[in-house]
Amino acid sequence: MRLSLNVNGMEHELDVRPTARLIDVLRLQLGLTGVKEGCSEGECGACTVIVDDKAVDSCLVLAAQVRGKKVLTVEGLAGDDGLDLLQRMFIEHGAVQCGFCTPGMLMSAKALLIADPHPSEEAIRLALAGNLCRCTGYTTIVAAVRAASDQAAEPSSPPVGEASAV
Amino acid sequence: MPNAELLTPGGLQELTAALQRATPSSRLLAGGTDLIRSMHQDLWEPDLLIDLSGVRELDYVRLEDGTLRVGALTTFAELQADALVRRHARCLAEAAAQVGSAQIRNVATLGGNIANASPCADTVTALVALGAHVRTIGGGGQSVVRPLEQIFVGSGRTVLAPDEAITEVSFAALGADQRTTFAKIGSRSTVTVARLSMALAVKYDKDAGTLSEARVALGAVGESAFRDARLEELLEGRPADEESARLFAAACTDAVRRAIPGRYSLPYKQHAVVGLAYDAWNALGLCERCEPAWG
Repeated sequence: MRLSLNVNGMEHELDVRPTARLIDVLRLQLGLTGVKEGCSEGECGACTVIVDDKAVDSCLVLAAQVRGKKVLTVEGLAGDDGLDLLQRMFIEHGAVQCGFCTPGMLMSAKALLIADPHPSEEAIRLALAGNLCRCTGYTTIVAAVRAASDQAAEPSSPPVGEASAV
Repeated sequence: MPNAELLTPGGLQELTAALQRATPSSRLLAGGTDLIRSMHQDLWEPDLLIDLSGVRELDYVRLEDGTLRVGALTTFAELQADALVRRHARCLAEAAAQVGSAQIRNVATLGGNIANASPCADTVTALVALGAHVRTIGGGGQSVVRPLEQIFVGSGRTVLAPDEAITEVSFAALGADQRTTFAKIGSRSTVTVARLSMALAVKYDKDAGTLSEARVALGAVGESAFRDARLEELLEGRPADEESARLFAAACTDAVRRAIPGRYSLPYKQHAVVGLAYDAWNALGLCERCEPAWG
């Protein structure tokens, strides 16, 4: 069937199998392999993408079900000016080890910060409860999300005195 | 993954037209979080899939003349955040908040939880305690309303016809003098399938300090969630005190023994339900926190 998909800000006209899952179309037809397939049943969250600002397991929805909606994958996180703040905080806090869970973690965290720019520690843990990591033990991941939230709270441009000192 | 045909109705009229094509091998898809997983694992092969997710007029929560009406496509994330649900059916909001992960709650729907007929469906336990009714629409456009318990005929099986889609769940909104809660036990604290669940709704007379009109539902004990009349009678007229909590918890053990005699999980569940009963009791906030005397 014909399907119009908006992925990472780009419109795609695709010919998809009616029963193709979103993850299949993203990985196999659009080459967005940052979307990882772990458990295929909604336990691990490695396939998490953002659909209309909400975190979704892309292995549990059909591509056809997101027709007309905006899909954001980890490939779309970085802007023209470089990595997203969340991505930089993940690196800075050592929240990445093997890296397989990282795209899903980032997208769950991103969806949380879209809905609630300054979440509590409990809200962060709840938002990430559907993402499994077998390496880090989560502490550094939660710290990275916390740091991204804290930094976003600061003024977008540095105070004049500091800027002139650079 | 099979190559079924997929219909994507964009409204109720298109839905009834689509339903006319349904056969016993067809499946209705709402959020899809359970169906798509099992389809991917080749557990079943449909000839036709009807995606309900585009029928946006089935996504609502309304309070009408004391009745709360919830559209079948309302997601768990919407239920847990909805002000009307939190005020008038708190057990349903609490149950929805404990389904799966954030990713699943953003997609999975109340109607899907019912149609899926899993014995451990969290919101079904809450809806049983609320005395919910379920409205459906058929391929001929006819609408039917049934008590929720009459939908289920066993684990994963319902009375719904192949061309019948759930459109609405309704129940009497709880008043300010009624307390309600949902509690469950799983293998981890979040993102877990219930091994046991319980929903409680009870009228509390503040001046007398007594309980009445209790409704107690147990889930994941047997094939579908059920109310237990003996548990409800026990609470009638009881004071909200530690002794009542103890008697209630002990009666929950008896209820589990009656429900699943000889089942392999009985030795675990008959004890675990005591902790669950205390969790639910304490969440009602009627008296000082009570603790079970284990041993």
